[in-house]
Amino acid sequence: MIRTLTSRFLGYAILIFFALVFLYPFVIQIANAFKTEANAAANPLSPIPDPFTSASIERIFEGTGFPTWLGNSVLVTVVVTIGRVAFGSMAGYALSRLQFRGRRALFAGLLALMAVPPVVLLIPKFLVLNQLGMYNSYSGLIVPLLADATGVFVMKQFFDSVPVSVEEAARIDGAGVFRTFRSVVLPMAKPALITLTILSFTGSWNEFPHTLVSVQDPSLFTLPRGLADLVSGSLGAGTQYPLKLGAALLATIPVAIIFVIFQRYFVRDAAAGSDKG
Amino acid sequence: MPRGIRGNERPAGWLFVAPALIILGLFMLLPILMALWVSLTRWNGQGSPFTGDVPFAGLQNYTRLFTDEGLARQDFMTSIRNNAYYVLLVVPIQTVLALALALVVNNRLLKGKGFFRTAFYFPSVTSSVAISVVFLFMFANGGAINAILSVFGINGPQWFSDPRGLIHLAFGDQAPALLADHSLLGLSWWDWLAGPSVAMCAIITLVIWTTSGTFMVMFLAALQNVPVQLEEAGLIDGASAWQRLRHIILPQLRPTTFLVVTLGLIGTWQVFDQIYVMSQGNPAKTTLTPAFLSYRTAFRDFDYGSGAAISFVLFLIIVVLTLVQRRLTRERD
Amino acid sequence: MTRLRHAALAAALAGSLVAAGCGSGFDDNGSTTTQQSAGPADLKIMIASSGDAETKAVQDAAAQWASSSGSKATVTPAQDIVQQLGQALAGSTPPDVFYVDAARFADYASVGALEPYAQGMEGVDSFLPNLRQSFTFEDKLYCVPKDTSTLALQINTDLWKKAGLTDADIPTSWEQLRATAQKIKAKNITPLAIGDTRDRIGAFLVQAGGYWVSPDGKQATGDTAQNVEALTYVQGLLKEGLAKYPKALDAGWAGEAFGKGKVAMTIEGNWIKGALTADFPNIKYTVKELPAGPKGKGTLSFTQCWGIAAKSKFKQQAVAFVQAMTSAEQQLSFSKAFGVMPSRQDAQATYQQQNPDDAAFVAGAQYAQGPVNAPKMDSVLADLDSGLQGLQTGDPKAVLQRFDKNAKTALGG
Repeated sequence: MIRTLTSRFLGYAILIFFALVFLYPFVIQIANAFKTEANAAANPLSPIPDPFTSASIERIFEGTGFPTWLGNSVLVTVVVTIGRVAFGSMAGYALSRLQFRGRRALFAGLLALMAVPPVVLLIPKFLVLNQLGMYNSYSGLIVPLLADATGVFVMKQFFDSVPVSVEEAARIDGAGVFRTFRSVVLPMAKPALITLTILSFTGSWNEFPHTLVSVQDPSLFTLPRGLADLVSGSLGAGTQYPLKLGAALLATIPVAIIFVIFQRYFVRDAAAGSDKG
Repeated sequence: MPRGIRGNERPAGWLFVAPALIILGLFMLLPILMALWVSLTRWNGQGSPFTGDVPFAGLQNYTRLFTDEGLARQDFMTSIRNNAYYVLLVVPIQTVLALALALVVNNRLLKGKGFFRTAFYFPSVTSSVAISVVFLFMFANGGAINAILSVFGINGPQWFSDPRGLIHLAFGDQAPALLADHSLLGLSWWDWLAGPSVAMCAIITLVIWTTSGTFMVMFLAALQNVPVQLEEAGLIDGASAWQRLRHIILPQLRPTTFLVVTLGLIGTWQVFDQIYVMSQGNPAKTTLTPAFLSYRTAFRDFDYGSGAAISFVLFLIIVVLTLVQRRLTRERD
Repeated sequence: MTRLRHAALAAALAGSLVAAGCGSGFDDNGSTTTQQSAGPADLKIMIASSGDAETKAVQDAAAQWASSSGSKATVTPAQDIVQQLGQALAGSTPPDVFYVDAARFADYASVGALEPYAQGMEGVDSFLPNLRQSFTFEDKLYCVPKDTSTLALQINTDLWKKAGLTDADIPTSWEQLRATAQKIKAKNITPLAIGDTRDRIGAFLVQAGGYWVSPDGKQATGDTAQNVEALTYVQGLLKEGLAKYPKALDAGWAGEAFGKGKVAMTIEGNWIKGALTADFPNIKYTVKELPAGPKGKGTLSFTQCWGIAAKSKFKQQAVAFVQAMTSAEQQLSFSKAFGVMPSRQDAQATYQQQNPDDAAFVAGAQYAQGPVNAPKMDSVLADLDSGLQGLQTGDPKAVLQRFDKNAKTALGG
C-alpha cells in the first residue's frame, strides 16, 4: 500500500516536473512577447509581463514583413496540403491496388526516395529550380513540395490494410476505376486522409530549408524564412526579443490549434512511424 | 484476379501515379543527378553549370575534403567532429528520456495520461525556426536558463559565445604536447577531443527537448503491446520493479528501441535549421555541421562544387545508416 | 499495351529532360547578349542596410530619382546580402544595382558578375583615390564608392563621470587604455565592448605596425612580431575583463551594448551615430580617435560601392541612378541621415564643416588601413574571425599562423 502510494507520488512528481520542462518555454515565449524589452531582459523567467504591452505585436504587423509572410505561408500551406493529399492518395491507391507493370519498381523507387535526407537536397533543388526558371517565384516555392514520398507511402500502407471487397462490389456494378476511387475509395479512406492532411499541413507550414533555396525576394518569404531572417539580421536590428518571440508565437499558433483539435491523429502518426522500417 | 472485373488498369495506374511521379522525379531525382555533376566541377555560380565553359574538377572537390591539406579539409573535419559529438549526446539522451517518460506515462496507477502525453509531444510539432527563437532567448547570457542556474548559485556560461569544448573545459585549456603535436585529417588530436562546445550544448538541449516527445509516443505504442500476462507473471514471481523492467519489459521493447536509436542517428546527422537560426556555425566553428557547411560553402563562398561534394558525403553517411537500419529491421522480422 | 506504358514513361522522361535542357533560368550566353534598353527602367536595388535610418534615406532618394527620371526604382534591404546576392547571381536574377563591400569586391569582379561601368563614368576622378583603389580589379575600376567610414573610440560620457573620470583620462595610448579601463572596471562597469572580428581587432594590428596582409594585398603577413604583440594586448584586455565581445554582453553588435549603457567605451565606425540616434536617442557620448599603439595611430576604413550587375537589363539607367546617388549633394544628405562620410573629395570640406563632432572619424581617414581585397579570401577571413572569437583562451601566434597558412593557399603564393 505504502509502496503504491510512494510510487504514485513519485510518478506524479516526475510527470509534473517534465510537463513544466516541456511547456514552460512556451509560457516564457508568450509572456515575454508582451513585455517591454528592458523587462524581458531583466526578468526573462517571469510569466507575468510587467508592464503589459502589445507594442511588439503591433510592431510585428506594422514594422516587419510579417503580414506578407503570413499570406505566403497560408497560400503555400493550402496549395501544398491539397496537392499532397490528392497526389498522395492517388499514387498510394495505384501502388496498392491497381495492377500494372512497373508497379513494383515504382514502389522500390519510392522507398529509395524516402531515404533521401532533405538537407542534402538544398543545393540540388536550387540547381533544378534555376534550370527550370522557377527560382524566386511562387511556383518554385510551391510545386516541388506538392508531392512527398512519405505521403504516398502512408496512403499505400493504408490501402494495403483495407479489404478489397467493397471496391470489388462497386467494380462489378460496372463503375470505372476513377468513379470507384472517387465515390467508394476516398470516403472509406477518411482517417488516412485526415492523417495525411495533418502531416502535410504541419510539414508545409513549418518548412524552412526549401524556402531558403527557392526564393530570395522578401515578398516571397514564408513565416519560417521571414522569422529566420528577423533573427539573423543582426546589425541595426538589435536583439528585440519581445518582437522576435511574438513573431515566433504567431507562427506557432495555427499548428497549436490544429494539434489540439486533431491530437489523436498526431499521436497515431508518431506511433505509425514505428511501422515504417 | 479476374481480368473481367478489373479490366485493364495499366493506363489508370500510370495516370494515378503520374503527378507524384513527375514531381518527385523532377524535384528529387533530377536535382540529385544535377548536383552530382556540379560536385565534379568548379562552377562558381555564374551562368549555367551545364555548359562546356565550366571547369571540370574531377574528384578534386572530394579529395580536398579528405586528403589535401587546407582549409576545406579542416572545416569539413571540424564539422564532422561537431556533428559526431552532437550525435553522441543527443541519441542516447533522447532515447533514454523518451523511454523513461513513456514508462511513467504508461503507469496504470496514474491519471491524466492524455494531458501529459500531449504536453510532452507538443514541442515536436512546432516549427523548428520558431522554437529556435525561443531557445535563443532562454539561452541568452541574461536569459532564463542562467537565471535558473543562478538560483542554485551557479554562474551560467555565455552560451552562444563560448567556443570551448566540454572536454577541454574539464581538463584545462592547455593542450598536452602529445595531443597537440599529432594530428589526424587536418585536426590535432587535441582538437578532435575538444568535446561539444558550450554553444553546441544549448542546441543539443533544444533538439532533445523537441524530439523526445515523438519517440516517447513510439515507446508508448509499443508498451501497450506488452502482454499483460507477462507483467503479471513477473509480479507473482515477486520480481522488483527494476527486475521487471530489466528482464520483462525491455526485451519486449527491443525492436522499438532499436528503431528509435536508428531514426535518431539518421536525424541527427541532418541538423540544419537550428544551426542556421541560432549560431550559423559560430562561435569559432564549434557548431558548424556538414549540412550547414555545405550550404555555406555553396551560397556564401560561391563554391558550389565543394558544397555539393559535402552534401554527397553527408548523403553517403546517412544512406549507410539507413541501410543498416533497414537490414536490421528486416532481420528482426 | 506495352506501347502505351512506354509512351507514358517516355513522356514523363522527355518532359523532365526537355525542361532540363531548355531551361530559361540560366543565361547560357553569359553577359554578352544582355539587352540594353533605353527609356524608363524598372530598377531593382539591393542594399545591406546599417539600419532603418539608412534604408529610409536610400528609399527616399531612389523614389526622388524615379519620379524625376520616369523610371521605377525598388530598394530592398537585404538581411544577409552575401547570401542573397550569391543566390540571385547564380539564379541569373540579380538586382540591377547593389552594394558591394570592398572585402567581397574582388570575388564578384573576378567571376564577371560586375559591370565595370566606372571606367568611363563622368566625374569619376572626384572620388577619393584610396577608395577607388579598393574597387579596382586587374587595373579596371568597376564601381564607385558610395561612402566611407573609419573606426573610432566612442565614450559614454555619463558612465565616464560615474567612474570618476575626466577628459584627462581619455586614452591616447595602449597603456592609458588599459589603465583607464581598470579604473572603470573597479567601479563595476564593463569598460570596453569590441566586435569579435578582424574588422575591429585589426585596428590594433595597424597600431602595432602590422596587418593581416602586405600593402599590395598579395601576401599574407599574419605571423609577425607586431601582430602577435597586438593580439596579445587584446587578449590581455579580454582576459582581465577590461574588454568584452558583444555576445558576452547579450548584444548583436558592440554598438547595441554601448547604446544600452552596458559599457563605457566601444570601437565602432561612423554608422554608430545613426544607429544610436534611431535606437538609443538618450545616450550621451563623445567620439575620439583610437588610442595609438607602439607604432603610432592606426584605424581601419570601410567602404562599399554601388555595383551594377553585368546581367542588368537597364545598365544605362543604372549608371544614371548611381550618379544621382553619388552626387556631392546626395552624399551629404546620406551623411546627415545615417552618419557615413562622403566618398567624394569635393564633399569633404562641407562635411567637416557640418559635422564638427566627427573630427575623430575624419582624422582617422588620413591614416586608415583599407580592407583585405583579394578574391577567394572570404572563407579564410571567416576562419580568422573564428580564431578571433576564441582569442580569449587561444594562442595569438597560432591564430596568426593558421591565417597565414590558409591565406597562402588562397592567394596562390
